[in-house]
Amino acid sequence: MAREIPYIAAVEEALHLEMARDETVLFYGQDVAPSEDDKWRQAFGSDRVRVSPISETAEIGMAVGLALAGYRPVVELLMSEFMLVAMNQVVNEGPRLRYMSGGRVKVPLVLKAGYGFTAGWAGQHTGSIYSMFCGIPGLKVVVPSTPADAKGLMASAIRDDNPVCYLMHYLLVLEHGDVPEGEYLVPLGEAAIRRPGSDVTIVATGWTVGKALEAAEMLAEEGIDAEVIDPRTLQPLDMPTILASVEKTGRVVLADQATRHASAASFIAAEIAEHGFSSLRAPIKLVTALDATVPYSEPMEAYVLPNEAKITGAVREVLGTASAVA
Amino acid sequence: MPGRKAKAAAGATAPALDAGTAYDLLATMWRIRRFEERVAALHHSLLVHGLIHLSIGSEGVAAAVCRQLRDDDAAYSGHRAHGHVLAKGAPMDRVMAELMGRSAGLCRGLGGSMHLVDTAHGLMGATGVVGGNIPMAAGSALAAKIRGTDQVTVIFFGDGAVQAGVFNETVNLATLWELPLIFVCENNGMAEFTTRAEHTTVESVCDVVSPYGFDRQVVEGADVEAIWSAFGGYLARARAGTGPFLLECRTHRRRGHYEGDPLASRSALDDEGWARLDPIAQLEATANKRGWIDQQRARTITAQADVDVDRAIEVGRSSEPLTPAQAAGLVYA
Amino acid sequence: MSTTDVAALDDERLVWIFTQMLRIREFEERVKRTFEEHPGVIRGHTHLADGAEASIVGSVATMEPGDQLMATYRCHGYPIVLGTDTGAMMAEIYGRRDGLCGGYGGSMHLVDPERGFLGTSGIVGQGIPQATGVAFAAQLRKQGQVVLCFFGDGASKQGAFHESLNLASLWKLPIVYVMENNNYNVGTRSDQEDANAAAGEPLSVKARAYSMPGVTVDGGDPVAVYETVRAAAGRARRGEGPTLVESKVYRLSAHGNLIAPPGVPLHYPEHEAITVFGNREEYEAALRGDPVPRFRMRLVEPGTLSAERADQIAQRARDEMEAAVRFGLDSPFPEPEAATNHVYA
Repeated sequence: MAREIPYIAAVEEALHLEMARDETVLFYGQDVAPSEDDKWRQAFGSDRVRVSPISETAEIGMAVGLALAGYRPVVELLMSEFMLVAMNQVVNEGPRLRYMSGGRVKVPLVLKAGYGFTAGWAGQHTGSIYSMFCGIPGLKVVVPSTPADAKGLMASAIRDDNPVCYLMHYLLVLEHGDVPEGEYLVPLGEAAIRRPGSDVTIVATGWTVGKALEAAEMLAEEGIDAEVIDPRTLQPLDMPTILASVEKTGRVVLADQATRHASAASFIAAEIAEHGFSSLRAPIKLVTALDATVPYSEPMEAYVLPNEAKITGAVREVLGTASAVA
Repeated sequence: MPGRKAKAAAGATAPALDAGTAYDLLATMWRIRRFEERVAALHHSLLVHGLIHLSIGSEGVAAAVCRQLRDDDAAYSGHRAHGHVLAKGAPMDRVMAELMGRSAGLCRGLGGSMHLVDTAHGLMGATGVVGGNIPMAAGSALAAKIRGTDQVTVIFFGDGAVQAGVFNETVNLATLWELPLIFVCENNGMAEFTTRAEHTTVESVCDVVSPYGFDRQVVEGADVEAIWSAFGGYLARARAGTGPFLLECRTHRRRGHYEGDPLASRSALDDEGWARLDPIAQLEATANKRGWIDQQRARTITAQADVDVDRAIEVGRSSEPLTPAQAAGLVYA
Repeated sequence: MSTTDVAALDDERLVWIFTQMLRIREFEERVKRTFEEHPGVIRGHTHLADGAEASIVGSVATMEPGDQLMATYRCHGYPIVLGTDTGAMMAEIYGRRDGLCGGYGGSMHLVDPERGFLGTSGIVGQGIPQATGVAFAAQLRKQGQVVLCFFGDGASKQGAFHESLNLASLWKLPIVYVMENNNYNVGTRSDQEDANAAAGEPLSVKARAYSMPGVTVDGGDPVAVYETVRAAAGRARRGEGPTLVESKVYRLSAHGNLIAPPGVPLHYPEHEAITVFGNREEYEAALRGDPVPRFRMRLVEPGTLSAERADQIAQRARDEMEAAVRFGLDSPFPEPEAATNHVYA
């Protein structure tokens, strides 16, 4: 039974259900449950739910220790950039421990943070830096774009026995969508086809999924039928779904809110170039943020980001229908 | 060879407040107060957008500290920087224009509230990441030491930053290297939305640095005279090339953590309670009692502040945002 | 094992302590000798605990069933005391299939979770927050477990140290932070990088910043270490929170073997006191104060342990570690394809 709830409520619903289901799941971080009558503390007690100081290295390092000692911590980091303060713990510790022990330990933990908040929060709070967590063996990265996925991926991330960066998108927190009640799991590593189509493949993540869908509507009016794919998990990446689409359409546009060389689009493009080359009828086109720290001023902020027009323009280019661009 | 500097006698060359200085400090504090109040209103009407943290309640620290600094002294601040920036001498219109995202802004609209920079006045940077630039301030101080000048660096930070590892890393180095660095902590007992007691067992920031043994003290943020005197004493010694020092100012954060903070109303004081913690009310009372200022003069101060803020808003509104092409050229040096 | 705070160490226990110290010393000697006797067998970087045996054994001897520990890349000593198979340990250091971790981690990343040794970090200070998390888990389980967190003096300059001790104090976690202060951080002396050391103060004063007790102990005396750590563990077990124990030791080898690109034979250089600071006298004095022969004398002189029995214990340790070396050398290498196993659980 599904009903419409906002993205942010869906995230919390999953966390709540998992904490009720499994008492080894913990939840802590800055500004988490500061008061006694906070709903999390009321539900699960002050042992399992805690507020911690601004100490990312300790907060994330502790999560590793808790996981080694048999717990499943969810750490609230608020913004993905704050993980940078503790990058060593994020990429160089937790994900590597199982491997270096020859499989003797496991590190189940979830690093929960928001990203992409391009709403005037200026250069240090608006990044899409998920690529820093990609390509680290042992570390998984999810980027849900719908409320249903936000719930299903959080539940799966908590149940996963590995460290997972759960990156929710701050521009989507109030977006409503159908979310099943009760236990609901979305497997990690599985892409979703948001809109089937036959003329061009658009791969998009997070907030750019919505942009891609709007672009697809605009293109439909021109008789162009776009297929929109949302990987949902960046690591491990569901390339078979993407490659099947490329085989069908032969043309690819990759939309990503990150800057070019820090985008998931860049490594998706590399995979397509290597494994889908024979299907391609045009070069792959990337639509990413421009190479600049996100500016504060509104018109400039909008300028550096991907949008529907840039996506439709890229589609016309790969279809060879674009007019000469200045 | 690094070593512990000898503790100088307390009270060495601690300057006293006089009528003229008190007037200047009041003027600065009112400028900050009026500026922040208007920014709150502008934020409500969306002329100023994004994440805004106001300094209402801590103007005394900004004024008493920055009034004693030179343009070539460096100051770093955190996300709650408007007061420090104005007090250190950044032109108000350029600060306002920055908050409005216009090209006339201090950072041409590229940084916004949390990233105000004005190197001409020694304002080396603010940061949105708590504690993020504490080590940078140590770098400034080290540069002064290497150059052999009498420049001093001030790092403004809140009590929330003290639990961050980088704070301790910097304290150790500043002590080891005897850097001319003055830590000015605005301890308002709140870090974002939670109280200090939920972050640490050690109530006073002075006690957190006690293992390092450098000179430090606590003053009330509403007692501008005490801040003036304490900071002045440290400043004189820092100019002689020694340090570090820590001044812990107990302030009150009048508004929520940020503009729009839904929890703000919860901790609101009544008028009497606020008046006791308001540095402006307290300094005005003191100045009145000592015959340094009268009601009429006090009114001209606030009137002038309003004029300045009006003008700043005008300048901001009439400035255009930077064009994308202009911004693109600023990514690299 | 008694559960009182300061349990008297009977003769048997003292002999056991001596035995473990000898085993660690012999193991580390054999690791070091491998560089000469079997060049190329050990790759990368190893870090030896010779000189710290008294501190290691004295600390680990306080552990009760269920207690746990985490350590740094200088980790060989702790599992030896816990009873981890030394053949598997040596094979791990030799990168072999039968190594403790299948050859995946090497010298710096030994682990034996079933015996309470939850792991190490190769990054200075980064195991401290992890151990703090293990203590958080222990607190939740309410089974009276205590966690020992081992690190060096260099780690106390890491932000992770500050953040972890603050939190452990705030939440009264059942942990003992054991700082093995050997006065060096690789090739830097503590007084060059630490304001307290520079001022001639013990590093245990840092505990003041976290409302926790800080105590300094002679890490060359296993009984003193035992009593100090035992008292701290008692505090933790009673829910009174953490303690910072500064155990003063002197490592008898260089920080680690020479770091060099392939082709250059790896070996152990002299201690940095000599190679960097030209202070041979300091090193010689440390050799004279070597805790292993010192403790032997302390047991043999009053007759607690006969010289013959002490010699037997030493011989058994030599035999054991000779067998460990053989086991390691005889163990095959893992299959290359195994490299992609164990990435995920």
